Amino acid sequence: MPKSALRKWLVGGPPLAYLLFFFAAPLLIMVVASFRSPGDFGGLAPLLLHDDSGTQLNLTTEAYERFFSDFLYTGLFLKSFGYAALATLLCLAAGYPLALLVARSPRKYRDILVLLVILPFWSNFLIRVYAWMMLLGPQSFVSAALNGLLGLAGLEPVSLLYTPTAVVVTLVYVHLPFMVLPLYANLEKHDPALLDAAQDLGAGAWQRFWRVTFPLSLPGVYAGAALVFIPAVGIFAIPDLLGGTSGIMIGNVIKQQFLDTRDWPFGAALSLMLMLSALALAALAARFGRGALR
Amino acid sequence: MKRTLPALFLALAASAAWPQANELRLFNWNDYIAPETVQRFEKSCKCKLVQTFYSDNEELVAKLAAGARGYDVLVPTANYIQGMVKAGWLQPLDLAKLPNLKNVMPQYLNRPDDPGNKYSAPYAMSITLIGYNEAKIKELGVPVGSWAAVFDPKVVSKLGKHVTVLDSQAELLAAALKYLGYSANDRDPKHWEEAKQVILKAKPYWAAFNASSYIKELASGNIWLVHGYSNDIFQADTGAQEAKQKFRIRHSLPKEGAALSLDVMVIAKDAPRPDLAHQFINFMLDGRNSADLTNMIGSGNPNQDAQRYIKAEIKSNKAVFPDAQAAKKLEHLKDMTPKERQLLNRIWTEIKSR
Amino acid sequence: MRRSPWLWCAGIAAYVFLYAPLVLVVVYSFNDSRLNAQWVGFTFAWYGKLFQNEQMLLAARNSLLIALAVSVVSTALGTMAGFSLHRHRPRLLPALVLATIAIPEILMAVSLLIFFVLLNITLGMVSIVLAHITFCVGFVALVVRARLAGMDESLTEAACDLGATPAQAFRWVTLPLIMPGIVAGALMAFTLSLDDFVITFFTAGVGSSTLPLQIYTMVKIAVTPEVNAISTLLMLLTLTLILIATRLSPSVLRTDTSR
Repeated sequence: MPKSALRKWLVGGPPLAYLLFFFAAPLLIMVVASFRSPGDFGGLAPLLLHDDSGTQLNLTTEAYERFFSDFLYTGLFLKSFGYAALATLLCLAAGYPLALLVARSPRKYRDILVLLVILPFWSNFLIRVYAWMMLLGPQSFVSAALNGLLGLAGLEPVSLLYTPTAVVVTLVYVHLPFMVLPLYANLEKHDPALLDAAQDLGAGAWQRFWRVTFPLSLPGVYAGAALVFIPAVGIFAIPDLLGGTSGIMIGNVIKQQFLDTRDWPFGAALSLMLMLSALALAALAARFGRGALR
Repeated sequence: MKRTLPALFLALAASAAWPQANELRLFNWNDYIAPETVQRFEKSCKCKLVQTFYSDNEELVAKLAAGARGYDVLVPTANYIQGMVKAGWLQPLDLAKLPNLKNVMPQYLNRPDDPGNKYSAPYAMSITLIGYNEAKIKELGVPVGSWAAVFDPKVVSKLGKHVTVLDSQAELLAAALKYLGYSANDRDPKHWEEAKQVILKAKPYWAAFNASSYIKELASGNIWLVHGYSNDIFQADTGAQEAKQKFRIRHSLPKEGAALSLDVMVIAKDAPRPDLAHQFINFMLDGRNSADLTNMIGSGNPNQDAQRYIKAEIKSNKAVFPDAQAAKKLEHLKDMTPKERQLLNRIWTEIKSR
Repeated sequence: MRRSPWLWCAGIAAYVFLYAPLVLVVVYSFNDSRLNAQWVGFTFAWYGKLFQNEQMLLAARNSLLIALAVSVVSTALGTMAGFSLHRHRPRLLPALVLATIAIPEILMAVSLLIFFVLLNITLGMVSIVLAHITFCVGFVALVVRARLAGMDESLTEAACDLGATPAQAFRWVTLPLIMPGIVAGALMAFTLSLDDFVITFFTAGVGSSTLPLQIYTMVKIAVTPEVNAISTLLMLLTLTLILIATRLSPSVLRTDTSR
């Protein structure tokens, strides 16, 4: 084998092998499962049916038929994409300045500042969500301040908890490091000389950012957006705890199939549809991004 | 220094990998056995009790259906026994090793879901009913003797978004069916549609569907009325008293009736230590050990011998030990067929997304 | 480098947003109330109770061990994947990597459990580590690729022109330049593993409890301040471990690339 091909296999081979074995193979099992029927008492019905006429495959497209014929599920898909998109944009708005601030800090502080970004996330997820429930709850100062302001404007007091707002805020919070870290990794590399040159050529601060920094940081933006948007669509814990009575997302429905209704084929089908649409969006975004860069 | 970190890591890893001998593996609900009971058992059998937890029967079923093994004793709710037997997950009990089985009250033995007690021994019970903040309810004058407190918009609206219901499709459906006067195990799709309408009409007045933190919310005074399990509501009361709140949390068994959950001990088919498993079950059927749990969380107790060890205020609590009249209106929830479950889930998804 | 006042404001606001819930968590770990819904009084008692809670400490130890192992392996695999994605543009790997991020956790959890049972792999710490690596690799790969995409290839080319083999060019030129990306990826993998619940729930064996599993069991009845205490301690412990590691081998973990 020529040296360059060997190198390609040495570098790309191990991760490919690992993912094929521990990810693709189990996934394949679930792909087949989406074409099977639910077992009488959970799990899956047998794949092979033996009767007088011989052995046949017990497969059906029922799960997919149900998904496509029922707008209820498609509606939830769209709603989940909406929430995730909003959370991603807010994450970008909040995370970009933070990443920029850290990337431009003096060398000796950068390590610690990066660690400080991720430190809160070594506490426990549930505890952080509970803290948000407290912060958004009726007895918190955040609620009191907000309702005080609303009262001044003559508006009715609102409840922050058990609302879509609570869901989005917590989604942003939980995913913020996954936006900041890729952005930082990219921004850190930017050569200050480019900005100095731009300034010498007469560019103002905003122009320097928009025409020099931002375009160079696009790979970081895409990585961050992917690492926030894609997982956020399928999340269930946050809508469960904070979403109130109408706040569910498609992740909750998927979870229910496995942990409530024991309808694994339908759960698998929904999951696969979710994955395919997320991957399609990512591919579209990449194509659009490549076009925009040119 | 560069070498001590990896060495430390290896030492920690080794300690984690070292196999333990003489253990009984119990797969149980969270907080469903008193610590003193565990200690007493470990002393009596000279073994170690290793617990793994679930917070819902469905989590247990999902893991077993995916093939998880290695557990000795499981504690599912009784309506799951037949399904688990058919799926081949349980082994029959050796009744000769369970002399304490006679301690159980006769109405909980030899049930239709396990004739002859072939596979299960009763453990504890709870009723799904209404819990409420006594002071607030008195202040607002809300009647809590019926499911109307949860489902009738005229009544619930007085509580202004301080109500939660269980995040369980089966339980909420059962409560709605009872409110409408049907059996909790009614499978008629028309009745289910009616129940759905009832739920949708009442939903705007509910704060959330909550199966986990409603105890805390009740005890802290944020929520004033819940649809919940009797032992949870008991613990909310304990919590409120500990936090020195100015109110008590009380139960109310609605007049239309409610769902009763009997949890049982079973032995997994490929249990590593069936001998220890039988020892454990017999141990838990002893009155004193059985009473520990009731005294801790206010759970219902099917054990006759345990009654003399239970605290007086719990014994007199009608929601934990209902009288014969009320007991007639309680129903065990039966398991559903896959088609029924699919229909229920669709109703549930619709309820939750409107 | 210049940092405008606007940048300072936005950055500090972001830090406040990050730490507001955390301050609550730490403060309430000293709350003298089992229910921990309102502030009652100050006490160290929960930290004391924590050190007697064998199960909780065991779970914390397991979580740390697993997270360490997972971040080492997934950073290695993820860096290779990121490199391959950028340099060699394969066809299957990008889809696989994105798929590991896109798959709903519960599907991955159930499928891995079924798979492990099929292969007769005993459930325990090892099964958890294998499962965690599967979903962490993708995160590292994407971060490393983003870093590589912003990198100046001319340096590597120059090294090759000067006679370095591709391996040497990688070790002495590319690797130091992408180190911030690798470190960022490692931090993410560590965090993801430390905090995972769904996948761990399904792939854990008897007796191999992790902290998220342990805390989940307390959710219903009493998320006592003990949980706040262990969260606080875990953060401090992890921070300390990482700071020690950076002092020990400064060249490896430097996140800046001053020339």
